[in-house]
Amino acid sequence: MDHVSALPQLAQLVEPRLVWIPGLPLAAFALLILVGRRLGRASGWLAVGSLAGSLIGVVLIAGPIWAHRTLVVQWPWLSASNPAWSVGFSVDGLSWIMLAVVTTIAPLIAVYSIGYMRDDPRFSRYFAYFALFCASMLTLVMADGFVLLYAGWELVGLCSYLLISFWFEKPAAAAAGRKAFLTTRLGDTGLLLGILLLAWLGGGLHFSALGDIRAHLLGHGYEGLLTLISVLVFLGAVGKSAQIPLHVWLPDAMEGPTPVSALIHAATMVAAGVYLVARTIELFTPASLALVLGIGLSTHLVAGTVALAQTDIKRILAYSTLSQLGLMMTALGLGARSAAMFHLTTHAYFKALLFLGAGSVIHAAHTQELAQLGGLRRAMPWTSALFLVASLSMSGLFLLSGFWSKDAILLAAAGAKPWLLWALLAGAAMTASYIFRLYWRCFHGVSPAHSHQESPAVMVLPMAVLGVGAACVGLLESPWLGHPFLRLLRDPHVHDHIDPAVALLSTAALALGLWLAWTVGVRRRSLLPAGLRPIGRLLHRWAAHKYYVDECYDRFLIQPVLSAARGLSGFDQRIIDGAVNGAGRVGDLLGRAKAAFDRIVVDGLVNGIAAAARGGGALLRLLQTGIIQQYLLVAAAAVVVLSIMGRR
Amino acid sequence: MSLQPVLVLSHALFCLGVYGMLTRRNAVGLLLALELILNAAGLNFVLFGRAFGSAQAQAFTLFIIALAACEAVVGLGVILGLSRSAHTIFADQVNLLKG
Repeated sequence: MDHVSALPQLAQLVEPRLVWIPGLPLAAFALLILVGRRLGRASGWLAVGSLAGSLIGVVLIAGPIWAHRTLVVQWPWLSASNPAWSVGFSVDGLSWIMLAVVTTIAPLIAVYSIGYMRDDPRFSRYFAYFALFCASMLTLVMADGFVLLYAGWELVGLCSYLLISFWFEKPAAAAAGRKAFLTTRLGDTGLLLGILLLAWLGGGLHFSALGDIRAHLLGHGYEGLLTLISVLVFLGAVGKSAQIPLHVWLPDAMEGPTPVSALIHAATMVAAGVYLVARTIELFTPASLALVLGIGLSTHLVAGTVALAQTDIKRILAYSTLSQLGLMMTALGLGARSAAMFHLTTHAYFKALLFLGAGSVIHAAHTQELAQLGGLRRAMPWTSALFLVASLSMSGLFLLSGFWSKDAILLAAAGAKPWLLWALLAGAAMTASYIFRLYWRCFHGVSPAHSHQESPAVMVLPMAVLGVGAACVGLLESPWLGHPFLRLLRDPHVHDHIDPAVALLSTAALALGLWLAWTVGVRRRSLLPAGLRPIGRLLHRWAAHKYYVDECYDRFLIQPVLSAARGLSGFDQRIIDGAVNGAGRVGDLLGRAKAAFDRIVVDGLVNGIAAAARGGGALLRLLQTGIIQQYLLVAAAAVVVLSIMGRR
Repeated sequence: MSLQPVLVLSHALFCLGVYGMLTRRNAVGLLLALELILNAAGLNFVLFGRAFGSAQAQAFTLFIIALAACEAVVGLGVILGLSRSAHTIFADQVNLLKG
C-alpha cells in the first residue's frame, strides 16, 4: 500500500509500562498454574482481575494513540550481530484496535466462564490456560517485529491446543486439539519460511522496516520474491484464520468449552491471521493480494453454504466464523485494510456473543443438536434476546454493528469489481439465512423438554455487556461520528456518506436471507421446481458433509502418509535394523574368533615360555644341594678333568 | 738342591687338604684342610721362587699367609654363627645354599 508508506513518520514515544498489558495475565497464569488448586473458586476472579488490569492499561494509553503517536519499548536481543537485533512492543492504531478488542472481550468471557465452568474439576487449570492465552495474544498484537509476533503466534496456537482438548477424556476433544495443532502448524511453517526469507534478505524483521524492504525489492525488480514472501506470510494467516484449504480444524475445535470457542475461535485468535495480513500489507503485491482475495472469497461463500446445512449449533457458528473471516480476507485482498479491521472488530463482539448464547443454551439444555432444541425463548428470555441482537447485527440490520462493517467492505468491493459486490451480497444473504435458521429453530417453535431455565447472572451479565457492544460498536464508524476508525488507521479511503444503493442492496440481501431461513430452514419447504429437487438434495447432502473435505484429506493426504509411514517403519525394522543387527552379529563373531586366537596362540606362547623357564629352573635346582662338599667334589673333579684335557 | 722331594711334599699336602675337605664333616676340620691346601700352594711359591731367584714369589707367599689368617677369621666367624643358629657345625647337616 503505497499511500501508507507515503505518510510522514510520526513521533514515537517510549513507554516501558506497555509491559504490564501482557504481563498481568502472564503473572495470573504463573500464579494459577502454581497455586491454582488452593485458590479454588477465587482463581476465576484472579484471571478476570488481571484481564481487567490489562484493559485499564489499554485505556490509559488511548490518548497518545489517538494523537497518532506510536508507543514503543525495546530490549536488545542479539547484540552480537551487526546490526544488533532487538525485540520489543510497539503499539500504533492498528495494534491498539486489536488490543481494545481482546481486552474488552476477554474479561467478559472470563466472567462468563466462572459460571460455565462452575462444576469442572479442573476449574483453576482452565483459567490458567485462559490467562496464558490472553498474555500470548496481547504479545502477538503488540509485537514490533516478526520475531516476537511469531513467539506469540505459536503460544496462542499452544493455548488453543490446550483449551480445545481441555476435556481430554473425550477422545473427540483430544483428536480435535491434535488436528487444530497440526493443521495450523502447516500454515505456521509457511509463516516461518517467510520470516526466514525476510531475515535472509537482511532488511530486518521490524514491521517499521517493511516499507523500505518493499521499496528496495521493487526498485531492484524482485517483485516475484516479494510475492513469494507475502504468500508465505499469508499461508500462516490461512492456517490461523482457518481459510480454505486449511479450514478443517476450526469446526472440530468446537469440542472445547464454549467460552473458549467464543474467545479463541471466534473473536481473537482466528482473527490474528487477518491482523497479520493487515500488519504486513506493505509486503503484498497485486498478485498476492489477488490470492488473498480468491481464498477469502471462496472461504466466505463455501463456508456459508456449509453453515446452511449443519445441525450442530456450535458447528453452524464455527462455519459462520469461517465465512466471516473469509469476508475480512476478501476486504484485505481488495486492499481495504480499515474495512477488514473494522469488520474484525464488530465480528469479535457479535460472534463472541453468539457463542456465549450458544454456550448458555448448551449449559441449560445439555445438547447442541438443533433437532433436540426449540422453544427456548420463554425459558431463557435474556439469552434469546441477546442472541437475537447478535444475529441481527451479524446479518447486517441497519444501525447495528454488522451493517456498518459489511457496508464498508461492500463499498470497497463495489469500487473495485462490480461482480464482487454481487458475490458478497449473496454471502450476506447466506449469513442472514443460516443464523436465523439457527435462531428460529433454537428459540422458537415447541420445546421438546420443559425443564430448561435461564443461566445464572454471572453468565447473563457479560452477555448483556457484549450485547451492547455487538449493537453499538459499529456506530463508531457511522458517518455521524466522523470515521474515527479510519483516522486511527490513517486510511485515506474515507467514505463520508452512506451509499444509498449499497445500503439498500445489503438490506435486500438481509430480507432475502430471512425469507429463505423461514421458508426453507424452519418451514422446510423446498423452493425448487420438482425437476431440480434431486440436484438440490445432492447439494444439501454435500454441504451437510462439509463437501467431504475431511474425507478427501483423510483419503488423499492422511492415509497415504500413514501407509507410507507404516511402509517405511517396516523397511526400517526389516532392512535397516536387519543390516545393523547383521553387522553387529558379524562383529560379534569376529571378536569371538579373535578372542580365541588370543587365548590359544598368544597366551599359549607366553605361558609356554614361562612354563619352560620354570621347568628348566626346577631341573637346575636339583644341582644346588647346599652340601658344600659336593660342590668341592665337583670342583676337584673338574680340575682333574680340565688338567687332563689341558695336557694334550 | 733338588726340587722333586719338596714338590712331592707340597703335592702330598695339597692332596691331604683336598681329601680332608671332601671327607671331613666338621666345619673346623674343613678350615684346617683348607689351611693345608693354602700352605701347599705357599710352599710351591717359595720353592719356585728360590729355584728361579725371584723375591716376588716370597712376597706372594706372605700374602697367602695373611689371606689364610683372614680367611680363618671369617670362616671361624661363619662357623660360630652357624653353631648358634643351626646348633650344629657339621657341614653335611647344613644346606642353607640349597636352591
